[in-house]
Amino acid sequence: MPKAVSTVSPTRMELIRLRQRVSLAQKGHDLLEEKMEALMMEFLGLVRRIKAKRREAFSELAEAHRKLGRCMAVMGRERLLQAARSTLKRVQLESSTRSVMGVRLPLVEPPKTERRAVERGYQLHTTSALLDEASLAFERALRSLCELAELEESVRWIGYELERTRRRVNALEHVLIPRLRSLISFISFRLEEMERDNFVRLKRVKVILEERRWR
Amino acid sequence: MVGDEETVVGFSLAGVQVLHVHRQKKETLERIRALLSDPSVTLLMITSSVREELGPELELLVREKRLFPLLLTIPDHRGYFPAVDELERLVRRTAGVQVVIG
Repeated sequence: MPKAVSTVSPTRMELIRLRQRVSLAQKGHDLLEEKMEALMMEFLGLVRRIKAKRREAFSELAEAHRKLGRCMAVMGRERLLQAARSTLKRVQLESSTRSVMGVRLPLVEPPKTERRAVERGYQLHTTSALLDEASLAFERALRSLCELAELEESVRWIGYELERTRRRVNALEHVLIPRLRSLISFISFRLEEMERDNFVRLKRVKVILEERRWR
Repeated sequence: MVGDEETVVGFSLAGVQVLHVHRQKKETLERIRALLSDPSVTLLMITSSVREELGPELELLVREKRLFPLLLTIPDHRGYFPAVDELERLVRRTAGVQVVIG
């Protein structure tokens, strides 16, 4: 790092300042590393939960699609679409956030999606009982999917934060700290060199003075 | 909820409020852009086939979004879901190991 070396002045003050900066950087590095470890634990835990949840939610969704297909076969496309149009649509999701190591993560209240047939809003006497089943299946799937979405999105945000933290740790470890260390060794070398210069100079002066006295 | 017609019908039976049937790329992207910046939307579901069809334009929108609305990719009515999805790639990149999610 020739440029950095040329801009720093080899004084004792500078040396002390650099030593302080190194120890601060080291402290920051250790803290960030701990943060990364904690995030990683959370990350892997969430991944494991997603695995199970995905299997559950996707199989529920597949089941719902099967039932819907059956229903369409019985009721016909037009009547099914009409029923879908007249269904009451007011699922509300309550959301909030939680924080893990300073990362904001979403929380979704498990919604009450399952309704009774009379609450859905389509006309009961024109629709098949299969429609009730299909609707119920979709309501169930929706609930699981909400939970899955919360987990997946959390993992995504923790993943981003992990990458950012890792970059910072690496920058400290491989760039900043080595650079400061090399500056420190440069300054201490220069200081020692100056001391030796001085020593030689004093010796020389002494010799000259003694020569003069003898004359 | 954005997806093919079957999936949209299914979720409308479940009472989902905002529904969009994907027909044209441009129209759907516009709709998704509006939904992603709407604070009253908590969860946006997209079927995987639609997501693949929209491609990088959608990914750009997704990257810009905030914490909410949550985005979830779900299998379409034929049960199609990519073997290696975006989440799994993220996991592999960050954890350095392959973790099979599906």
